[in-house]
Amino acid sequence: MKSRGERLREWLAGQTTLSLVGLLVGSAALVLVFAGTLIVITIRGWRPDESILMAIGSGEQTAVLFGSIALGAAAAVLGYSIYRRMPTKPSRKAAISGAALGVQAVVAAGLLLLVRSGENFAFLVRQNLRFEVLDGFFGQFVTAVKNTVLLAFFGELGGIVIGLILAMMALSAHAVVRAPARAYINFFRGTPLLWQLSFFYLTLLGLGLGQTVSVYQVAVFIFALNAGAYVAEVFRAGIQSIERGQMEAARSLGMTYFQAMRYAILPQAIRRVIPPLTNEFIILIKDTSLVSVLGLTANQRELLSWARDLYQEAFNATPWLAAAAGYLVVTLPMIRVVNWLERKLRSGLVGVGA
Amino acid sequence: MNPDGTLVRLEGVNKWFGENHVLRDVDLAVNPQDVLVLIGPSGSGKSTLLRTVNLLEEPQEGSVTFEGQDITDVRVDLDDVRADIGIVFQAFNLFPHMTALRNVTIALRKVLRLGDAEAVERAREQLDHVGLAEKADSYPSQLSGGQQQRVAIARALAMRPKLMLFDEVTSALDPELVQEVLDVMQGLASEGMTMVVVTHEMGFAREVGNRMIFMDEGRILEEGKPREMFAEPQHERTQLFLSRIL
Repeated sequence: MKSRGERLREWLAGQTTLSLVGLLVGSAALVLVFAGTLIVITIRGWRPDESILMAIGSGEQTAVLFGSIALGAAAAVLGYSIYRRMPTKPSRKAAISGAALGVQAVVAAGLLLLVRSGENFAFLVRQNLRFEVLDGFFGQFVTAVKNTVLLAFFGELGGIVIGLILAMMALSAHAVVRAPARAYINFFRGTPLLWQLSFFYLTLLGLGLGQTVSVYQVAVFIFALNAGAYVAEVFRAGIQSIERGQMEAARSLGMTYFQAMRYAILPQAIRRVIPPLTNEFIILIKDTSLVSVLGLTANQRELLSWARDLYQEAFNATPWLAAAAGYLVVTLPMIRVVNWLERKLRSGLVGVGA
Repeated sequence: MNPDGTLVRLEGVNKWFGENHVLRDVDLAVNPQDVLVLIGPSGSGKSTLLRTVNLLEEPQEGSVTFEGQDITDVRVDLDDVRADIGIVFQAFNLFPHMTALRNVTIALRKVLRLGDAEAVERAREQLDHVGLAEKADSYPSQLSGGQQQRVAIARALAMRPKLMLFDEVTSALDPELVQEVLDVMQGLASEGMTMVVVTHEMGFAREVGNRMIFMDEGRILEEGKPREMFAEPQHERTQLFLSRIL
């Protein structure tokens, strides 16, 4: 394995002056759009929103945007005109990268220019970037993130239990065992989660459970019912992906069907379904926003309900942006985990180790 | 053993995969301590026949009698029957998430309900028997094909089966790993284990087998002692097959 320094030296040795210039100009253009804009705003101040407005409308910002368009265009033209003549793979790659970065800078700066010149630009900034609206609500925000994660976590946990049972039923040799599982799965996959939340919530209230359980518990229960249907399909696919010989080997040793499932098939299947299950979990994290229809008390609110309430209170949309940030804080690490697990599974390392 | 002195008796066995008639009126008896070798071209039904003996393949017609009971009868507890019949597969089919030792102990503990200590002792004995005592803690992916297949044999033997079935167990192995598996099987035969072996290893068939059956298109065409069959095949189909592979 080569060290980072060695790889960098090798890469540099493969470059030509032109390829390096192209790459540097392209990078500079893109950095200028983002860093330049942030610096211009930071100098004027991020609050009040009027100072952001002034910063973006300022001559400095105009210079930043047109500067990056000029640099970006230059990098794009240079890169595309030279990349075919580059002598080595690294230099060719650098020329193409420089052009691509330049195009990105032109697009980003152009979009900013377009938005800035819009008729309602001032309204847009005042609505979405009035950060003082969030002052004093950080505690609530954290609670909302926590509730979002808890709703999704317990919903998924219940869904895994339900899904595993359904998957086993759906794989049964007996049609009468498969049929109810299929009906359940099709029903919950075929109707909107929003409808399920409203319907089963009202049904549970109608059953007189309204006094004994909280909206929050009802929501977790319905999420579990819904997730169960999707998880069942994931498990079924996972179990079916295990080579037939594994079941044959286990049964030939005298194991019952359920012993074979438990000791031979499921441990392997569960490993294979961890990435799709984590994906399910990410989807559920976002779907928790649907409980906002049920009317939660202040400390039960998840992110979207919290944002909506605050929006209505302040009559300003900045909380929506905060909610999006809240979702990303949770989902981005999970997405990374999924990607990492999928790489690991592909490389076959997960087969080793109990 | 069956009342007639055989260990396994198949009578009038017919099997179809869809339209495909893969076993046609097969009658077969396996006597205790037989080393019965099944040969024939691919698609001749020899693997299906072997897998019918422990009912991995269920025949649509005919009976399979083991220990005096017809195991095609739905009232028979197949799990009990299978615990007495070991089978080794072409693709090893070891459990990849378990160590070699645990591959061997799992059925001892869960099927035979042995205690942990006894299961481990028996498993180590068998791993030692196939020359892999020091690989007990390795996972299948850390073993060569030949080693994996020997673990699979140990796994089957640890159940102390009355009959061992071998389904082309060397076909998936690199040529230089074939012999170590055949050696284990030869040792087993010399200890008096009753074996049914589907194989393309004609040397093994001749040296170790005491009976040989040639199959083609789902039928048993010829049966005899291996040396005699190799020297003077009676059926013209057998002659053709042997002339092509020897």
